[in-house]
Amino acid sequence: MKVYVGIWVGLISIMLVEVFLTYQHLPPQSLLACLLALAFVEAGIGIAYFMHMKYENPKLLWTLVPITIFVLFMLDHIWPDAFRLARLSLH
Amino acid sequence: MEASPYGIESKKLAMWLFIASDTVTFASLLFAYSYLRIGSPNWTPPFKFWPSVANGMVMTIILLTSSLTMLGGVRAAKAGDQKLCLRWMGYTMLLGVIFAVLHLREWFGMIHGGWRLFQNPLGGSVEVGAGFFCVTGLHLLHVISGVVALAVVALGFKRGWLKAGHVETTSLYWHFVDVVWMFVFPIVYLMNAQ
Repeated sequence: MKVYVGIWVGLISIMLVEVFLTYQHLPPQSLLACLLALAFVEAGIGIAYFMHMKYENPKLLWTLVPITIFVLFMLDHIWPDAFRLARLSLH
Repeated sequence: MEASPYGIESKKLAMWLFIASDTVTFASLLFAYSYLRIGSPNWTPPFKFWPSVANGMVMTIILLTSSLTMLGGVRAAKAGDQKLCLRWMGYTMLLGVIFAVLHLREWFGMIHGGWRLFQNPLGGSVEVGAGFFCVTGLHLLHVISGVVALAVVALGFKRGWLKAGHVETTSLYWHFVDVVWMFVFPIVYLMNAQ
């Protein structure tokens, strides 16, 4: 249980870093990149330890993660249209 | 019987598959939210540090703590200590309810301030409210469903018609709700801090 308490403290610390970064007046793109990177670290730790993926058969990880990442990658194709909309609204 | 290729029980595999599909559901919603955010130059960030961001921080700590208590429940269930397991599950449900109450308080505060699904009291894009209520609403629905699922599983475990494996499978769902919040908080709250 000691390990899990350490992870709990670590995750709360990452959240505090996120809040600290929010008020450092970073450009929005940089802030988003930092917050997403930290969120992925938090999620990875949560899945590995809290959800015990670290202790499961690696086949489970190699079945679930690539297909999920593939879908998330495919969703990324919406961004050019979002930037087009932003440009249209500005003109 | 042929052994599972993943070395886990069928119900646990089913829960993992559900989690993968629900990840895509949340991801789609967060992508749609970000699409609207990028495409709306008159987006008006609604959240001040006090009370909204501070409230979000407290909610994050509560949800993370509930994951810890849920782990205690799973360990106790596997060790065959039914009483301790039920106590930990009770703490988890209580924390889930506190999270939901804080979230609803945030919602009612915003509604009182004039925010609606298609109404922005700051005069900017109406999609700010729509995005916020949709994303956080789906997450809140998951938290409430999780509390109900935990209550049902705790009852079944107490009466002996559910086993430690059921507690562990339900805990996966609860931790997943926690993991999703790790993206909702920075994207919806912190990126909208004034």
